[in-house]
Amino acid sequence: MTSHFESIEQVVTELAEAHYIADRALATVLFLAYQLQKPVFLEGEPGVGKTEVAVVMTRLFDTKLIRLQCYEGLDASTSLYEWNYPKQLLQIRLEEQDGKKIDEIEKIIYSSRFLIKRPLLEAILTSDEKPPVLLIDEIDRSDEEFEAFLLEVLSDFQITIPEIGTIKAKKRPIVIVTSNRTRDVHDALKRRCLYHWIDYPSLDKEYKIIMTKLPGIEDRLAEQVTRFMKKIRVVDFVKKPGISETLDWIQSIIAMHRQYLDEEVVVETLGCILKYQEDIKKFKEEIWANKDERATYI
Amino acid sequence: MSFSFRRYLRSRHNITQGMRKAKISTGHKNTGVLIKQGLAGKVARFADFLKAHGFNVFQSSVHDAVRGLIKIDISKREDILAALRANFATNNLEWSLFEDLFDEFQHQIQLTEDTPQTELPLKREAQKELPDLEVFSDAKTERASEIEIEEKKEWLEGVAYSPVSTIEKKDLARFDKADIRLAQLALKKIIKTFKIHTSRRYKGKKRSGKIDLARILRQSLKTGGIPLKLFFREKKKRLKRLVIIADVSGSMDRYFRFVIPFLLGLRGVGSRAEVFAFSTSLTSITFMLRHMDIEEAITHISLEVPDWSGGTRIGYSLHQFSEKFGRKLLNQRTIIIILSDGWDLGGKELLKREMEKLNRKAKIVIWLNPLAGEPGYQPMCKGMKIALPHVDYFLPANSLESLIRVGRLLSKVMIY
Repeated sequence: MTSHFESIEQVVTELAEAHYIADRALATVLFLAYQLQKPVFLEGEPGVGKTEVAVVMTRLFDTKLIRLQCYEGLDASTSLYEWNYPKQLLQIRLEEQDGKKIDEIEKIIYSSRFLIKRPLLEAILTSDEKPPVLLIDEIDRSDEEFEAFLLEVLSDFQITIPEIGTIKAKKRPIVIVTSNRTRDVHDALKRRCLYHWIDYPSLDKEYKIIMTKLPGIEDRLAEQVTRFMKKIRVVDFVKKPGISETLDWIQSIIAMHRQYLDEEVVVETLGCILKYQEDIKKFKEEIWANKDERATYI
Repeated sequence: MSFSFRRYLRSRHNITQGMRKAKISTGHKNTGVLIKQGLAGKVARFADFLKAHGFNVFQSSVHDAVRGLIKIDISKREDILAALRANFATNNLEWSLFEDLFDEFQHQIQLTEDTPQTELPLKREAQKELPDLEVFSDAKTERASEIEIEEKKEWLEGVAYSPVSTIEKKDLARFDKADIRLAQLALKKIIKTFKIHTSRRYKGKKRSGKIDLARILRQSLKTGGIPLKLFFREKKKRLKRLVIIADVSGSMDRYFRFVIPFLLGLRGVGSRAEVFAFSTSLTSITFMLRHMDIEEAITHISLEVPDWSGGTRIGYSLHQFSEKFGRKLLNQRTIIIILSDGWDLGGKELLKREMEKLNRKAKIVIWLNPLAGEPGYQPMCKGMKIALPHVDYFLPANSLESLIRVGRLLSKVMIY
């Protein structure tokens, strides 16, 4: 199925059909991104479904997902392209034995055979036929030089390789940039994007998400879990559990052949929702130690 | 509250309808242009409004917002809000403020629109009949924005236009609850101007490090593919480590709220900085700050740090620091920042000894004292008097303006 976003309503329904429960605001942003051909900049706490947006878009447009995971020290040669130097060296040796001239050799070794295509170049090359979804994940982890470089690429999807020439994408890929907000991303980059902040889901939304992601689940368990998560997210934890934690948790409960939540299950599977020793300690001491408190959670 | 974008458009729509009926057959495109013109003015005014509230608004966002609004059905408040927000908000602070500001703007516009409407019924009539006279509506818009500017004069002077503004000079402790967020936005802007670069990129080197194959090959082309020269590369690492020791006793938490995010927000520095809080004893809060919002962190610290807002023992706390963390954190690649007003109830001898040790072991010791911002400040209290000779830089940190100076100093001394 290939999609064309015609209206916001359509985006909402299509996202729902693709098992992604989104609020209208996000649908609006995605709609605009498609219509205006602008990248989307998604921010939010870990585990609220930022990366998932890109995956769903890939499914909706029946295209390829090209993912660029950012890290400190990421640079042009690992994100755009690089010449395969060892292979070139070997080729030079071989060609020299044949007695070829430097000019000829140069032509051979600087052909696309020796070009290692990294995600950004691949996105540009493949978007001529069917624009892929380009996911630039956790941009906040990369350094500023890379940000500046990315800016250049995102503004016109054009790359110049000195030895080959300029390559320009005829159509623009759908670009989704995500950030965990460990640092502020430069304004110039944000200016080129549509910004959206994904919050923790509401009770209703989380319930819907559970029901679509895990269709076979007991109604009672889903309800219990959503209520539990809603309560637990109010507590001041170092890392509050996101939706991915909710889904993990339910899956582990099901794997343990339990049909509903009780005190025993919670303690046994606490590691699924709380990921820091401090949080687990806090939960056990401040919440679970109190009987009345315990009862309100289940 | 009826939605005035819609109203505005409806009137636009009527105009074009009327025009069609009257004589000229305007193409679909023309309608779009007209709508766009009306919208553009409104969006531009909204952008100014946001700017006045401390938002970082780009010219291109206004353009994009208009383009976006044209694409969507403008009858739903929710959709307009979402479309505008996607274009104008650039961080979650702005995101959270957006909806309220949006409504406030709507409200204001209604007020300003209603007045001229009653005053100038004739003009409105004229407008209906002469649709292409955009001038009228422009004049109206201008007048409205004049009124708005008058109302918001304080804001404009405060944040948007004057560089050294009142907000920058205001004592950080005097911000009330409502202003805190505004000041935090201003702080974010200030932080952005400082760039302290660290880099893990490779840098060419003559003799040691990893072999730089790319460069060897490039250079070997000169000699027909035979690599005659070897090149190496190594990672650049150029930043000192920042250690912040912050006093959280008494009224210092008000300054803490601004100074700490400022220091941690400085690019390149913040992510590696270690932060300690002390009152009568010392606690590491690096972990906490990394995972929490500053307001959350303050509530947390007040619970976890013993005697929050109690007396202060600077000497003992510094002693704890050098005992526990000194081996790791105290060396010539460290810059220590102490944030304290200098009121000390602990032993003077210990403070002197510890300050000497800090000064000897760390590269640079900076003392930030909010009180020092007051005109005619003299280090009267004993603690400050003892510490002062062992401090390399003594700066006030009581306003956004003085924080800019701290930032400038740091961007000089952090690099080696």
